Amino acid sequence: MLILLIMAAGVFVGYFWLPKKLCRLNTWIQLGCTVVLVFCMGVVLGMRKNFWEELASLGFWSLLLAVLPMGCSAALVFLLTRFWEKRKEKKEES
Amino acid sequence: MAIFVILALLLGVACGQVFFSEETAGFISEKSEWVLMLLMFSVGISVGTNRELFQKLRRMDLRVWMVPVGVILGSLLGSALCGVLAPFGFLPTLSVGAGMGWYSLSGVMLSDFYGAEVGALAFLSNLLRELISFLTIPLAVRYLNPYAAIALAGATSEDTTLPILMRHSSAEMVVYSVINGVLTSAAVPVLLRMFYIS
Repeated sequence: MLILLIMAAGVFVGYFWLPKKLCRLNTWIQLGCTVVLVFCMGVVLGMRKNFWEELASLGFWSLLLAVLPMGCSAALVFLLTRFWEKRKEKKEES
Repeated sequence: MAIFVILALLLGVACGQVFFSEETAGFISEKSEWVLMLLMFSVGISVGTNRELFQKLRRMDLRVWMVPVGVILGSLLGSALCGVLAPFGFLPTLSVGAGMGWYSLSGVMLSDFYGAEVGALAFLSNLLRELISFLTIPLAVRYLNPYAAIALAGATSEDTTLPILMRHSSAEMVVYSVINGVLTSAAVPVLLRMFYIS
């Protein structure tokens, strides 16, 4: 909830105040923050005492349990949105 | 971008393993919340500067609901397929996939429900989902469509993966991403509890 409020504050600042010149700097800030966040995720992973043992024993299943749900989600959403767009096109034609 | 992400991850793991003490690593992971907040503020600014977006908001359609429904059903379908084969039991495996990328919550909840092994599996697998999203979102936008890219990100589409989604698609997608993130994040604890009870 707090995150959404902070984002809303950003929208407010961007809409009413931010000069166009600073937009490019804003893009760099996003890139920097993303890299720092991924670094922090790496630290969280690395600080687990049994990290290598866990990776060796659970690595395959972790990967499969990440990739299959991702793949099925993307495929399902792709098919649903595609179907919806086609239906909309047909309606517009008729 | 992808190369920076991979390097940052490897450097982070190395620092967590070798260079940082437990206190330093704990401090960094705790303070990463502030980086996330700065990122969200910056994403908000990008949305605010895009005046066209506010006009498009009025024309939102059924796809706003289609994306989270597809993400939840697809994640459950994918983890159910794994559940048939995995040695952890069907419902624990289904619960891991139902984390939809929210590794902190699913790791802690599933440790409580099913023990440390399933908790570690949930943590690793959902963290991997987030990391793989960073690398595959640009490909999904290019070869499928932006909605499928949001689906890859799962519950993280409202925060960490949002800048990548926006960078590779359009500012219009921010609305779909945030709504998907909010709805799927809300569904995660409900689904985990539901599978545990049953």
